Amino acid sequence: MSGIASPVEHQVIPAQPRRRDSRRSAALRLARRREPLLVVMTLAVFFLTTALEPSFDTSGNINFMLESAMPLAVLAVGQTMVCLVRGIDVSVAPILGIAAVSTGFLAQDDGSSYVLMLPLALAIGAGLGLVNGLFVTYARIPPIITTLGTLSVYGGIELSLVGSSAVQTLPNSYATLNTGTILPDISYLLVIGVVVMILAALFLWRTTIGRALYAVGNNVEAAFRAGIRVNAVLVSAYALTGLIAGLAGLVYLVYYRGAEGGSGITENLNLLSIAAVLIGGTTLTGGKGGVVGPFLASIFITVADEAVLVAGVNPDWQPAGVGVLLLLAIMLDRNQSGRRSLREVLLARHPKLPLTPPSEATP
Amino acid sequence: MNLTARRPRSHGSVEAALGDAAERPAVRYEARHIKKAFGGALALDDVSVTFQPGEIHTLCGENGAGKSTLLKVMAGIHQPDAGEILLGGEPQQALTPRAAQLHGIYLVPQEPTLMSTLSALENLFVGILPRGRLPFAVDWKRMERSAGEFFAQVGLEVDPREPASALSIAQQQLLECARALAHRCNIIFFDEPTSPLTAREADVLFALMRQLRERDFTVGFISHRLDEVLEISDRITVLRDARVVTELEHHEATREKLVSAMVGHDIAVRQRRHRNLSSAETVLEVQALSEPARFSDVSFAVRRGEVLGLAGLVGSGRTEIAEAIFGLRPASGSVILAGKPLSHRSPASLIDAGLIYLSEDRGRNGIFAEVDLERNITAAIVPRLPRHGPLLRPGTEYEIAEQASQRTRVVARSLSASIKSLSGGNQQRAMFSRWLLAEPKVAIFDEPTRGVDVGAKDDIYEIIDEISDTGVAVLMISSELDELVFLCDRVLAIYEGRVVAEVVGDDITLTRLGTLIVGVRDP
Repeated sequence: MSGIASPVEHQVIPAQPRRRDSRRSAALRLARRREPLLVVMTLAVFFLTTALEPSFDTSGNINFMLESAMPLAVLAVGQTMVCLVRGIDVSVAPILGIAAVSTGFLAQDDGSSYVLMLPLALAIGAGLGLVNGLFVTYARIPPIITTLGTLSVYGGIELSLVGSSAVQTLPNSYATLNTGTILPDISYLLVIGVVVMILAALFLWRTTIGRALYAVGNNVEAAFRAGIRVNAVLVSAYALTGLIAGLAGLVYLVYYRGAEGGSGITENLNLLSIAAVLIGGTTLTGGKGGVVGPFLASIFITVADEAVLVAGVNPDWQPAGVGVLLLLAIMLDRNQSGRRSLREVLLARHPKLPLTPPSEATP
Repeated sequence: MNLTARRPRSHGSVEAALGDAAERPAVRYEARHIKKAFGGALALDDVSVTFQPGEIHTLCGENGAGKSTLLKVMAGIHQPDAGEILLGGEPQQALTPRAAQLHGIYLVPQEPTLMSTLSALENLFVGILPRGRLPFAVDWKRMERSAGEFFAQVGLEVDPREPASALSIAQQQLLECARALAHRCNIIFFDEPTSPLTAREADVLFALMRQLRERDFTVGFISHRLDEVLEISDRITVLRDARVVTELEHHEATREKLVSAMVGHDIAVRQRRHRNLSSAETVLEVQALSEPARFSDVSFAVRRGEVLGLAGLVGSGRTEIAEAIFGLRPASGSVILAGKPLSHRSPASLIDAGLIYLSEDRGRNGIFAEVDLERNITAAIVPRLPRHGPLLRPGTEYEIAEQASQRTRVVARSLSASIKSLSGGNQQRAMFSRWLLAEPKVAIFDEPTRGVDVGAKDDIYEIIDEISDTGVAVLMISSELDELVFLCDRVLAIYEGRVVAEVVGDDITLTRLGTLIVGVRDP
């Protein structure tokens, strides 16, 4: 590998960690992670509710809940991409909506197959995400402000696409995707969601650009100096969030068997996707986290939501519950990453590159 | 004009502010046996200095000697770990910046810290805005009247309604002085005020300092420019390595005495290497590199295997030159690497071409603090890592990082530990691992031993020797002159943005470099 000097031989360094130590610390690290906690919390809510209301625990219902979590889960996987680079995207709901209604109308009117609609949904999402990315990166508008702006614009596009109609009847193939199962109780939708999550996780950990997202989110200046093309990475993060939101639109269409103006927004999916990211242990302060946590958190939110309904709480209170969860998650986030305040992150602009640092000062 | 009589209802400090600073009794201000450490590094070690009224007292020393830290301790910005501060013989406990100002002590910082969007007027009185008849109402008219007086005292001719950002650096410094006067301070410290100023602007400031001395003010001053130090100081204290080395009065101070006190006569333990590189080919050529107000017309060449030092004070432009080469700053002129001119320089393209830059501020723009050691080490070569199709092979990455960390002797619990958990020395060793993995032809090391322990320093010297033996051209920037003496084959002295001298081989000595970097011409 190295074409430079040979290692210095006269000093022995135990750089190879001892196996047992590393195994024990791996177990410890796992225990401190968010993912196992989320699994435990989800199961706890599930069994508690079953104890209260035995009908909650039927395999059909488990399957139903996992399925109903998928539009949110896929969206949260997408949201993770921008959160890793210290960004945020509050326009994912209308991106999902636009993808859902445009593919929905084509399927309804022309009977287009979902195989054809998939690339269309991805392209719509990536395009809209790209616009966000260009504004954040090159116009250097803070992410929250950029996406608040495009939230309105994309929401308007969604409404104008739909007009007074709605997508109500889809070809049979779509229904099969919805109701079909691979194994008993494991539906296609769940499989799609899990596959998206796995692909995203591989992307983040084992591709150059995925790794660059962590570096940029952790320290933009160091990333730039380490030869990472920071601007390209940022734009890609937003495009990718859009792309996955587009895919989530198709998942939404299949799950709800239709779409209408306001799809995505009426379900409060913007806030929920951010809540899922935070509850899933990915920080808004960048550079830390992954997609598995947000995916599991989406399932947790959905199960908790359902449990609250079964427990007989007025559904009007549902958004309040999510709000409380979100606030708790933000508090956790702040405790974990003391170095940067959230305000600094959310309202920070992307720095102008090349960075011209101030002249050095005497220490 | 007796404002106090007209406004008896107003609050204490407001009136104090509008009185005359000279009304305050002029007393001596002492630091006794002050100790201050940052992290493990001692910035001040048993330092005692007395500032007398009616004197301009200058602190001299190399970068990191402790001058600024001493003034900051005396202005209440840093708390000393041990020792006493006495004002007119009275010990001052737990001094804060506000308490210091109330006692009449004001530090004009190196870079003015004005509120750039507020008017010059408001900047002058911020914290002590005079009140009018109504409670909480600011008395603007009165402020404008008295502002004129303070501006006149410091020779500042600007519209008081201009925002501070519209003022030049020199004017901002004068505004800081006016603010000190408005706050009725009579002990005024200037931390390297002249480094951003032109000669004429500096003269205006010196006139003001002399005038303050006439009024029996206590004036503290830091400067690296020996000419001006010798000209203006009544008393000079030289610090080196966190200690006071000597104190000289105006009549006994000479340039030679100052330089030798600042540089010291410690003999470098390491021996310099003698190598003949005259036949080696040129790898990096820099031609007429310039950035307005930073550096100009910098030209040099580095040969294969050569270690070229850049010696200069902090602020002389050394780092800016390196950053311009690495594409971090816009600059005119050309950079030629292995015969190929590099026109659009960016870190990404330069690393690919074989030029790397280890920055001087590891914490700010070197490490990824929350990321593990493995990924910190491989950060610059991710695109070159082996992979299956589009996916990286995680096992091989670990092996590569491990080998690299062994080569630079990083000591860590494991490669999955976050880099921020390591000592400064090990973080720096990891940074060397990162950059050596990029297999550079030219390596720029900016303050490579800053903030590292002695053991790591030695390792870093070994690494630099080793890689230059294998043909890497090294450009080395350091404030520690002894490093340059024993590592470099050749040294360029930088003073105020220009290459002022080239020193080769055995001519590279502490005294020679120490003299050149403070602007003394070759005899």
